[in-house]
Amino acid sequence: MKRQQPGYYPGFRTLDQQKFWDAKTRQVILDRVHDVPPIRFFSADEQALMEAICRHIVPQDDRDAAHTIPILPQIDKRLYDDTHDGYRFEDMPPDREAYRLGLQAIEQIARHLHGKAFTALSGREQDELLESLHDGDPSAAQDIWKQLPVERFWMLLVQDCVDAYYSHPWAWDEIGFGGPSYPRGYMRLERGEAEPWESEEKRYDWQAPGESVSDKFTPLGGKEEHRGGPQGGTH
Amino acid sequence: MLGAMQTLRTPMRRYAENEELDYAIVGVGAGGGVLLQRLARAGFRVAGFDAGPFWDTERDWVSDEKGAHNLYWNDKRITGGGDPLALGANNSGKGVGGSTVHWASFVPRFHPSDFRVYSQDGVGADWPISYWDLKPYYELIERELPVAGPSYYPWGDPHGYPYGPHPMGGVGDALIQGCTKLGIGVSAGGPVAILSGSRADRPHCIYRGFCIQGCKVGAKASTLITHVPDAIASGAEVRANCMVSRIHLGGNRRVTGISYFDQEGREHFQKAKAVVVSGYAIETPRLLLNSACAGFENGLANSSDCVGRYLMAQAGNVVLGRFEELVRMYKAPPAHALTEEFYETDPKRDFARGFAIQTVGPLPIAFAKQMMTAKGAWGWGLRRIMMDYNHWATFGLLGEILPNQDNRVQISEEKDQWGIPVAKVTFDLYDNDKKLIEFAKKKTMDVMWAAGAQEVVQEARYAHLVGACRMGADPETSVIDGFGRTHDIANLFVCDGSVMPTQGSANPGLTIMAIAARTADYLIAQGSSIFESDRRVMEAPGVRRDLSPPDTWGHGMPTL
Repeated sequence: MKRQQPGYYPGFRTLDQQKFWDAKTRQVILDRVHDVPPIRFFSADEQALMEAICRHIVPQDDRDAAHTIPILPQIDKRLYDDTHDGYRFEDMPPDREAYRLGLQAIEQIARHLHGKAFTALSGREQDELLESLHDGDPSAAQDIWKQLPVERFWMLLVQDCVDAYYSHPWAWDEIGFGGPSYPRGYMRLERGEAEPWESEEKRYDWQAPGESVSDKFTPLGGKEEHRGGPQGGTH
Repeated sequence: MLGAMQTLRTPMRRYAENEELDYAIVGVGAGGGVLLQRLARAGFRVAGFDAGPFWDTERDWVSDEKGAHNLYWNDKRITGGGDPLALGANNSGKGVGGSTVHWASFVPRFHPSDFRVYSQDGVGADWPISYWDLKPYYELIERELPVAGPSYYPWGDPHGYPYGPHPMGGVGDALIQGCTKLGIGVSAGGPVAILSGSRADRPHCIYRGFCIQGCKVGAKASTLITHVPDAIASGAEVRANCMVSRIHLGGNRRVTGISYFDQEGREHFQKAKAVVVSGYAIETPRLLLNSACAGFENGLANSSDCVGRYLMAQAGNVVLGRFEELVRMYKAPPAHALTEEFYETDPKRDFARGFAIQTVGPLPIAFAKQMMTAKGAWGWGLRRIMMDYNHWATFGLLGEILPNQDNRVQISEEKDQWGIPVAKVTFDLYDNDKKLIEFAKKKTMDVMWAAGAQEVVQEARYAHLVGACRMGADPETSVIDGFGRTHDIANLFVCDGSVMPTQGSANPGLTIMAIAARTADYLIAQGSSIFESDRRVMEAPGVRRDLSPPDTWGHGMPTL
């Protein structure tokens, strides 16, 4: 079922609170919503492939077309601007090269398994191919994975998709996150209580599309213990 | 200039490049900021050089996770080894205030035992100074920031805090509940360097939860707002957007000044009678190694081969628990409750040293990435778990990893945007570290279960960076002496987290500042002899209580 706003906080809209945000924050968030950057880094073929991949990493089939959050333009902008997170693993190529190599590898796996381009595969086949990267067990393109550790490429890809999706105010509405909060702040800190302008949770059951294999939790890289987490400080 | 509430009342002094400074300080963060302020107050001609901007907190910062990206050291670095460290947002700031701009601002002191790890446990190293040498400086900095917390803090050397504890958020509630069920002592509402009541032109905390994205409110302390304004009012210059590329060595094994690139990429030379490197655990050794020259082919002040070695991070595994009821962990400061019950070596365990358990409060992007590793989430599973964001609480363990000579910063063949060779970081866990992490992880998960979680998962990660230019009594095995002076060069100093021989399981910020205040007292007591002589006086200076920023004194303090 397609919704304007999936999630358990129907009617909660962080953008409705923008008059309580500071000017700089408001500008940054509204630019993010309204000024979607053009595709400049990826070629047309790469763009089509990346769009198909992003649809599986952060699927949005439950969102109506007018409320789909742009993922690829944010990734493309980062690579076009060549901005980084301040470090590169010694066994990884630079991010731009990592994406170009990773896309080649995905295409090679698709042809190896199915004799077709990734974009020509069924949704199920695409999901299963990507799951093999998640599991650290790709079935082809081993020459590429020697230069590009599959587990690191997977994390790079998922993190970039997460950055794009969960930085968007529609995603905050979906998960009930209060969003920007200066200068007003919060006053109801305990017991998970909602501020007067926030919404109570209203849960419902939902199923992922039947062709999908990603609605489950299996260890990253096929290993129980994963060492060396992603970026983003917590303490 | 500093934001909505704080303003700089005096114009900043500017030194010409051919004017010789008394001290050039490289890096204006936790260490450099405090040192700059002290030296300016004492009347020295001093300038701080920072690679990043001088922030206007109202116009530059945002209440937004992604938009805070520019607070971090985002320039190229290479990370490797068997257990490579994430850098950037995880532990490295860029700009005036350094990492204090984006710290969560937990400010526990080190314990007395931290300074005698080798003597007591036969591992790690001893410091050339004791807890008691630093104690008066802890007390000073706790008032200067100031620190909010309980009036009786029971661990290490018990003490109280000048500002009252903060109210609990949902994560703190969970930590208290879990610890209490298991009979574990827990500190609620601090110690954190966040105002629980307003002071002078700084307002109290509004509990918006964006501490590590930079505090627009001005309630969370950073040297940008606590020490740099007073430094400037006292005559210091802060030269922002200046990337220092080299320290120059003259005759007689004394340094003569620094080279730096300005924002337009032009190279400058600034003369100085003495240089202090305060660039933190990666940039400090990088600068010394990149300043190699005749007589110091292996890196400036590196006759010991210890520059860059004994780099440490703390184990920072995040334990996540899902609760039936809502938590909404984005409210309240991420840092607001902790326990140090497991801090000390316990002979019943099979490893030396210990750990702390602290509240953390990841915002949605950070939480999604934690779920990517903790549960292997992607696709629909990721969407599903994120819809439950408000049901999760997170604890961070902070575990002591021991110093090892092979955990180190070296110079890579790759170069940054100015053509300066970048740092290459190598990190591995060793036996004691692995045992400690395993135990701490289980214990932290036990606390989360005891708090009433229905599901508990965890993600391995690291927090903080210290070491890599350690202090020590022996010039063969350390880079600087107990007052921050390099063993090799009489007018070259280091003052930041890189000086630590061991790291305890306390967040390092307060200790970096306390060391900086002590280093300042030493430099001030030595006066011009630092500039004129190679004589190395090793007597402790008296504690100067008259160098604190305005508004430090005249407030009540809990009495123990």
